[in-house]
Amino acid sequence: MLSRVVLSAAATAASSLKNAAFIGPGVIQATRIFHTGQPSLAPVPPLPEYGGKVRFGLIPEEFFQLLYPKTGVTGPYVLGTGLILYFLSKEIYVITSETVSGAALAVLVIYAVKKYGAVIGQFADKLSEEKIARLEEFKQSCIRYAEDGIDFEKEKQAVVQKRHYLFDVQRNNIAMAFEVAYRERLHTVYREVKNRLDYHISVQNMMRRKEQEHMINWLEKKVVQSISAQQEKETIAKCIEDLKLLAKKAQAQPVM
Amino acid sequence: MNEELSTFFYVPVGTMMLAIAFPAILLPTPNRLITNRWITIQQWLIQLIMKQLLSIHNTKGLSWSLMLITLTLFIGLTNLLGLLPYSFAPTTQLTVNLSMAIPLWTGTVVPGFRYKTKISLAHLLPQGTPMFLIPMIIIIETISLLIRPVTLAVRLTANITAGHSLIHLTGTATLTLSSIHSMTITVTFVTVILLTILELAVALIQAYVFALLISLYLHENA
Repeated sequence: MLSRVVLSAAATAASSLKNAAFIGPGVIQATRIFHTGQPSLAPVPPLPEYGGKVRFGLIPEEFFQLLYPKTGVTGPYVLGTGLILYFLSKEIYVITSETVSGAALAVLVIYAVKKYGAVIGQFADKLSEEKIARLEEFKQSCIRYAEDGIDFEKEKQAVVQKRHYLFDVQRNNIAMAFEVAYRERLHTVYREVKNRLDYHISVQNMMRRKEQEHMINWLEKKVVQSISAQQEKETIAKCIEDLKLLAKKAQAQPVM
Repeated sequence: MNEELSTFFYVPVGTMMLAIAFPAILLPTPNRLITNRWITIQQWLIQLIMKQLLSIHNTKGLSWSLMLITLTLFIGLTNLLGLLPYSFAPTTQLTVNLSMAIPLWTGTVVPGFRYKTKISLAHLLPQGTPMFLIPMIIIIETISLLIRPVTLAVRLTANITAGHSLIHLTGTATLTLSSIHSMTITVTFVTVILLTILELAVALIQAYVFALLISLYLHENA
């Protein structure tokens, strides 16, 4: 298990060393080369879905595959058992208090991994999923914001296309207002002119009437002056005689 | 390895350098946003611990956050790795712990005295002490202040070393009893298991406590 870590660490170290600067000894300052490698790690290769397969939690599957052609399925197990027994019997590995503490630790670790391993793995996955969900939500909200902006812009553009209706209406309104004002003023002019002409006519009429009255009064005055006293008496006697004649005629005919 | 555990001042340089450098392999640096389970859980644990540790500091104090995180991780990981059989925990050596504690403590106290002398000196006298006790209190508080790095180092050393010694001794007892009376080794083996659980807890707790105390000293002295 740790062998894979070491191998991958060595691989990344080797590749980074390949890209890193190479400073040869005894080279003058001006020819030093720095930062020749690619400065970016993108695109990062995807994480593998599952870790490498191991047996007993320690020994990678590749070891078993390595020994399979020569020794079959039981080969690695026999090798392991033999090694352990060899080390124990020859006291190459001495059983000390460390063995006991190692055994206790092994018991604890195996128990913890068996019981809580999957739970912790799921918890870690949940953390990653929450992170991805937060980022996804942010991305979606940015996209929604941009789309809302686009819709808003389109709407405003459509409104702008229909602006000419508004202008036509306003233009018609203004034309009507002009028309009304023009007619009003025309009417005012007509009225004023008519007033003036009526004034002149009424002045003329009044003058003529005054002249007539004056003439009539003058005539009457003169006629009345011209009637002498003698004429007046004769006229009155004639009138009385006419009235008597009429009274006789009236008596002769019965009143209806 | 057994001799190294039972002496405080013997300094094994070669294995110690290896033991100090090894935990770095267990803390990989992610080069992507969504990482594998190992790194995700590490990030989550670090966030959990550091939220507690760093919540009390102002902006200036937060410049210590990397130091505190590194401290917690280093002490925790070296303690845990020291529980493995045939491994070595550098935190059992007083030299390592002193060389961590003294600079860190000095770094919290000396700037405090330099820039905020009044506040730092005021910490030496708790509020509401009666007048006649003041000289005694000042002396006692000064001594307690000056002894803090030693307490930090010795606490860590003693805890880890004591745990290792207990496990070692109980293991030896198990081995010795196995030839005398085989049935009692179940008792001692269970004791070893329980001690290992305790040691696991102690390893992590001591790391946290170390960093917490440094954070508190930092907070006291601004």
